[in-house]
Amino acid sequence: MNVVAQSVLVVEGLSKSFRGLNALDSVSLNVRSGEILGLMGPNGAGKSVFINVVTGLYPADAGTIHYGGRNVTGLASYELARLGIARTYQNIRLLRRMTVLENVLVATKEHNDRPLRSFCVWNQRSFLTAAKKLLEQFHLVDKSDWLAGSLAYGEARRLEIARALAGKPSLLFLDEPAAGMNERETEELGSTIRASHKFVGAIVIIEHDVAMMRNLSDRLIVLDAGRKIAEGRPNDVLAQSNVVEAYFGTDGTDD
Amino acid sequence: MLVEQIINGVVLGSMYALIAQGYTLIFGVLDKLNFAHGEIFMLGGFVCLASIALGASLPVAILITAIVSGLLGLMVEFVGFRKFRSADAHITAALSSFAIGLVLIDLSQKVWGAEPVALTLPGSLQTATITIAGLKLVVLRLAILVISLLLMLVLYLVVLKTGLGRRIRAVAESPAKAALFGINVTRVNQQVFVIASVMAGLAGLALAVRTGYSSTDVGFTFGLKALAIMAIGGMGDLRGALLGGLLVGVIEALAFQWGVGQFADVFVWLFMIAILLLRPAGLFGTLVSKEIRT
Amino acid sequence: MMQDYIVFVGVNMVLAWSVYVILLAGSLSFANGGFMAIGAYASGVLTVKFGMPLIPAALIAGLIAGAVGVVVGFPALRTRGIYLMLVTVGITVSVKAVIESIDYVGGIQGFGGMVGTRPWHVIALVILVGCGLWFLSKSPLQRILDAVREDELSAASLGINTVYVKLVCFGIGAFLAAVAGSFYAHHLIHVTPDQFGIVVSVFIVLYAVLGGTNNMWGPPIGAVIMTLIPEVVRGLESWRPTAFGVIILVLLLIRPDGLLAFREVTTRANKSWVTGKADESKPAKAKSA
Repeated sequence: MNVVAQSVLVVEGLSKSFRGLNALDSVSLNVRSGEILGLMGPNGAGKSVFINVVTGLYPADAGTIHYGGRNVTGLASYELARLGIARTYQNIRLLRRMTVLENVLVATKEHNDRPLRSFCVWNQRSFLTAAKKLLEQFHLVDKSDWLAGSLAYGEARRLEIARALAGKPSLLFLDEPAAGMNERETEELGSTIRASHKFVGAIVIIEHDVAMMRNLSDRLIVLDAGRKIAEGRPNDVLAQSNVVEAYFGTDGTDD
Repeated sequence: MLVEQIINGVVLGSMYALIAQGYTLIFGVLDKLNFAHGEIFMLGGFVCLASIALGASLPVAILITAIVSGLLGLMVEFVGFRKFRSADAHITAALSSFAIGLVLIDLSQKVWGAEPVALTLPGSLQTATITIAGLKLVVLRLAILVISLLLMLVLYLVVLKTGLGRRIRAVAESPAKAALFGINVTRVNQQVFVIASVMAGLAGLALAVRTGYSSTDVGFTFGLKALAIMAIGGMGDLRGALLGGLLVGVIEALAFQWGVGQFADVFVWLFMIAILLLRPAGLFGTLVSKEIRT
Repeated sequence: MMQDYIVFVGVNMVLAWSVYVILLAGSLSFANGGFMAIGAYASGVLTVKFGMPLIPAALIAGLIAGAVGVVVGFPALRTRGIYLMLVTVGITVSVKAVIESIDYVGGIQGFGGMVGTRPWHVIALVILVGCGLWFLSKSPLQRILDAVREDELSAASLGINTVYVKLVCFGIGAFLAAVAGSFYAHHLIHVTPDQFGIVVSVFIVLYAVLGGTNNMWGPPIGAVIMTLIPEVVRGLESWRPTAFGVIILVLLLIRPDGLLAFREVTTRANKSWVTGKADESKPAKAKSA
């Protein structure tokens, strides 16, 4: 991990509203290089909206986003992805009709940066090797030829994360990766995320599972009703009264 | 005269609206386009013609046309749409209905030939006029307008107030959920097809009666335009289809009045493209449609 | 006579592929009848009015259509599904109406004097396009297209510019339809706008869909079958259209995925045919998860 905490991502004053409803209200935060940042908050707090705006799905109404020192506000999803921002989705979005190996192969940065040029690529040996190596790290290489749609839930999530890392990103967003998982699967997920840390400098996790976040995150930020209400070390933040109040009645899993 | 042309336009528009409402009803409930709809419209005129030729009076001919159109609608639903239920099936359903349409055109041409066939009404019904507020209006056209509007009003009331209407709206929103509530989705689909087809058939009857002849190509010229009108008015939106139809009818009438009639068609299609790109809910649509942009 | 068959079958195969190319990126287009018309008329003007030889004229006409396709496709491809269907229908109808109003090319009467198509032109075109598509299916670009087709959002998250990809496919589809249309027109000598309407557009899509659209061989096979069916039912001379329609219906009902709907499942980089291995109904290896 970096001793010098440079910021990979700096978000300032980010606001987004949908038909008059303030989903994000002037949120500012930064993601430091090498850290695992947890983003928590009750349902409707704006966590998913935040990640969707930062990864280019919706344009922000106001505010700026700087990535690696560069102003990337308003760029499209694919442009942000090419710059090194990767993500997974709450409902696992794999290409179910393609095989496990193909799912990773389709994340190959050299091809996706210039799709038409990839038409001329004949020797794909090196890409194949790289993809299989990645799958090995995630214990999925035996299922290379399985259709992605036939994987068990935990494996599917692992594949989605592996695929996100295949493009060699510098920042990875995980949107509620533990959604729908039981305790054992959640533990495995935790190891997967720690293992992923080798591949990507900074990870932002959106989650409800308090125990998981306490264990995994270096820092924790809590949103409520579109605003940041707490920031700091997990144990400190989780003890704050306003945070406990925001989560009233929930014990980590809020459905 | 301008006012007369506008009235002509409204009459024309009410016919477009009848067809467009049928398209939009089927789209709203089944999420698919019925490319045979235009041919059912076309056959409406011929069935009327045949009935009158066999000696029926106009009211009886209207009834026969309605019944035959409804039966045709049932046939189209069964052959072209029953099997293709999944979401991806909208293309196969469209293609099937297109094939059915082609068969219908060919069969019509076998029976009646490829040239327009004259339709003569008993008595002086065709040319009777009446004067209201200083304007001389053709009774027939007025009757068409009034009856069309009445039909659409009845449909509107049915959809809003009756049990059938509630079931239709439920299936339109989600066939899966409607089925969970015990609604027989297949039955509703059939009913929707019957309603849409009866309206289309009667519109065909109206056109034949108004112009004095039936022709096998009106499905493609007239009928397809109603498809564009559906999109202009708002897909899945009955009120939009009505207003869209009237709007286009008036614009067409005026275009002919001002000598640019031959561009009317292109204009309608280009306008439709513009609407789908800029305002997918349609000019008058209130619903935000499901599958437009990501 | 044989010449006729070769030209028509070949032209239809390329037309079917022109729809397939656009389908590769997930869009269903009914606009290729219109692009075919642009190709026919543009090449016709070049050969008849400017004395250009056929092949360059066809290519230029193709480029023109491709350019129109890109310009028109940019806004059009923001719609999906049925909405896109309608927009592309609108494109075909508009193209036809515009051509009908241009007296320079004969308006409704049509345009004549186009000669020059030889069977080998069409055969060469089919081979070229076929090779191109085969090569594509082995390349990483095929995977990119598969991703765009299946889930645009995911594809974008992986750095794929989906708008660009869809637009390129649309333009290439327009190009192919136009070149095919050029050869078609220069075989018929005289064409009218009526021959390029919505019916043709739907037929082209039918070729592709009936053949099966999840691999490159389906569409041309569908085209061959559909082009030859009228010959098969030649005996029922006056019932041909009806018989044709009924056959289409039956085919759609019994094999809605198309006649050739096997999935070419490979890890394409391995360049091996692994048929049946990744059949959706059973995982590749029967291990318990």
